Order: sequence, then structure tokens, then C-alpha cells
Amino acid sequence: MEIEGYQFPDDLYYHKEHYWARIENDTVVMGATDFAQKLAGEITYVELPEEGRKVDQDKPCGSMETGKWVGRIYAVASGTVIEANEDLEDTPELINESPYENGWLCKIAPSNLDGDLKNLMQVEALPEFIRSEIARVEKITSGKS
Amino acid sequence: MYLFDLGHLPGHQSMLVFHTLARMGIEALVLVSPESPLGSVGYFQDTQKEVDLEFCRRAKIPLMRREIGGGATYLDQNQIFYQVIWRKDNTRLPQRIKDVFSILSEPACQTYRVFGIDAHFRLENDIVTEEGRKIAGEGGGNIGNSMVFVGGILMNFDYSTMTRMLKVPDEKLRDKIFRTMEENVTTMRRELGTVPPRSEIISVLVDRFSRVLGRLTPGNLDRATLQKMRELERWLASDRFLFRKTPKIPRGVKIREGIEILYGLYKAKGGLIRTVETVEGSRLNEVEISGDFQFCPKEDLSRLENSLMQTTFERETIQGRIEAFYEKEEVETPGVSPEDLAEAVVTAKP
Repeated sequence: MEIEGYQFPDDLYYHKEHYWARIENDTVVMGATDFAQKLAGEITYVELPEEGRKVDQDKPCGSMETGKWVGRIYAVASGTVIEANEDLEDTPELINESPYENGWLCKIAPSNLDGDLKNLMQVEALPEFIRSEIARVEKITSGKS
Repeated sequence: MYLFDLGHLPGHQSMLVFHTLARMGIEALVLVSPESPLGSVGYFQDTQKEVDLEFCRRAKIPLMRREIGGGATYLDQNQIFYQVIWRKDNTRLPQRIKDVFSILSEPACQTYRVFGIDAHFRLENDIVTEEGRKIAGEGGGNIGNSMVFVGGILMNFDYSTMTRMLKVPDEKLRDKIFRTMEENVTTMRRELGTVPPRSEIISVLVDRFSRVLGRLTPGNLDRATLQKMRELERWLASDRFLFRKTPKIPRGVKIREGIEILYGLYKAKGGLIRTVETVEGSRLNEVEISGDFQFCPKEDLSRLENSLMQTTFERETIQGRIEAFYEKEEVETPGVSPEDLAEAVVTAKP
């Protein structure tokens, strides 16, 4: 689905901090959405959670730098990290170029998948959410408060 | 939003304060100068690879990693830091990173202009004078549930100590870094010949920031905040945090946005080739080539370097120039081909 110029694959779950989750068998693959990467701009460094680290849904689990700004990466699900995308260490721009494929961030073995999925959005809920997010980020530049 | 006009604080406290307020979700404009020097290392930097630890130890410059972006920098009493902390759900303030920098840089630009320096914001994220010299570096990040934007008014700047603080692969480079920094970074003192009273600068900063941030309520750090600062200091000033493993590999020194001194390193069959390159945008301004390979006649090496000055920084152009030089000058470099030299130059490319 395309919303206001941003791409959102139909088969993913979405976190309110603009990260996505894809369920692959018993694993959750997560990454940044097209909206997040465009909002961030060119990503120059990424710090991902190490394999074996326990992460909690909604809590920061890594960081990325873009134009001297360090933003946090939020876990889309609770569980244990089983793999981080090592390619991003040398080529963090993959997040910009291919946010839903080569730019994935990490894979999590979920500890409470059914519960966590209830807190994520499916694509049907996105148009309203994304439009409200666009309005939120553009409010200040349009002079409204 | 609070205004914490904190005057001078010990170096590390001047940086601890915004980390603390952000974690506590206290929205504020903080104005502060370090009363003692501090080496501040960017969140993604490798301290051991980017900072001359021995120099800092001898010069009694403590180091602290910050949780916001940018590179290693030297802080002292000649700078006034403006630190804006706001909760990320506060939609009165910018949410998009590019807006954060452009909107929140404006009060500092206007402050410079009030004192007669025509400063403006330039992507990516410096304040520069009309001549394009950097006069404030800025950075930011998400800390806790807050957003933080930090910049510094340069009343004066210790170019020498800043240059000494950096770790470089070859001591001969320091002079080059110093000269390039002097050419590209300026201060109020250099622009005006004098430094306006700090109190006057503060007064203008407060006025200009209040036009963007709204009413600012003067306050002091309360006991709970000071306690939280002490707690946080144990982590932020710890060796574990300072020397943590990071993915950022130093490949040079950014002087200002658009100008970098880069180091190239390439192992050819005939030996190791090292380069030091001054790069401005997409142009290779100059390059110095050294290493343990043979270059005969050796006097021609500087002519090869000259032939690469002011070149487009791309492999094809650089290799073409090197090949043309080889053809014309008949130099001999056993085990090192024009392709190797071109590779050494372009490996430094970001």
C-alpha cells in the first residue's frame, strides 16, 4: 500500500515508532519503515542489538545516526535477538535503499508473539495513522501549534 | 519550558545536564559554558581510534562520550552551549530531524547577526559565515522520551589543543589538520577582532530562542536533577561507556561539513601505499602519497601529487590522471601499478 508517497507492504505488522515486523515461521524480522527512513534522511551509522540479547517490545534496542542526529531503534517484539543484519555495519545506507528487504535490522525469537502482535498495526490501520504522523511532523513548519 | 542559564560548570557537567534533563523529561533551554576543558566524543565514535589518549592524559583533558551525534571535539570556557530539550510528543517543536536543525539553528544565527557576523544555517548541520567558515557545530538525538538539540557559540577556539587531541596516523598530519581547521572554522574573536561580553551574548540568545520556543521560565537545577546527574555521571564518565565497541571506523577528520582530511591505505604487491587527502565535496583538493614502496625517480612523486590536485574524486578520473603521468614521465614503481595508486586514493573516499 502506498500512503502519501510512502510504501507499506501489505503483509507486515507496523509499530507506532515506525518499525515493521515480518513473521517468518517462529521468527520476527524487523526493520525501519519507508516513512522512518525518509524522515531520518541518509543513515550513516547503525548500532544493532547483539545476538542473544533480550529485547522488550517498545523499548530501545539500538541506535542509528543520520546527519549528526542519533535516533533510537525500538523493538517491535519482546524476545531474544537471534541475528542482526551485519551488512549494515559497512553499508547502513541499505536501510534507505531497501528498508523492507536488504535493510532489515534484526531477527527476534519472540517470547510473547500473540500478545505483541495485538500492539502492532496491520496495513488497514495505517492510512489514518500515517496521515496523523505527517500532520504531526509538519505542524511546526507550517506555523500551526 | 524552563530556562536554565547555568553560567560555567565543570566540563563534564556541562554535557551531563542535557543527558539528565532529557531522561527526566524536563523541557528546557540550557545555556552553559564549560569552566574546565573536556574532550567530547560522538556516540558512534571509537574513542581509542579517534582521540590521542596520551595527550589528553598529559594535558589533563577528561573525556566523555555523549549520546548525540557528530565527531570528537574540544570544549572549553570560550564556548557557550545552547541545549534544547523537549519531549518527543510536544508537537510545538520540530519532530523531523531536518526541521530540528534548520529551525533551532536560527536563534544562534540571529545572535551572531546581532553582533555583526552574517551567519546562516547550512546543510548538513553547521552554522557558517558568509565566507563559508563554520562558526558553530551542532548535533542532536533522542534520549529517553525526549529530543535533544545542542550547539555551541564559538567566542574563541583553541585550534591547537583541538588538533592535538585527535589521533592521527602520522604526526606530520597535525599541521595540515591545524591549517585546514584554521582556514575553515572561525570564531567571534576572529570575525570581530574582539569578543562581546558573555552576558550580552546570553541575553540575545535567550531573546531569540524564546521567539521559537515560547515563554521561557527561568529556573535552577533542583536537588532531584542534581542527584540524577550524579547517578548518570557514573555511567557516562565510565571507561565502559567511553571505550565501548562502536561500528564507526575513523577514516579522517571532518573539518567542517563539506571539507574533510581523509586517510587512504592500500597494500600493493610492491608495498604499502598511504595517502592523506583534502577533499571538498566531490573534489580532491590535494593528496600526499607516502609508504614503503619504491618510486623512481623519487623527486617525481610530488609532481604526481600535483597532477592529482583539484580532481573530481572518482576512480576513473584519478586513475586516468595517474596513467597519463606514468606515460609522460616514465616513472618506475616495482609492484605498484597506476591502478594500485588510484585504489589507495579512492579507498579513502567516504
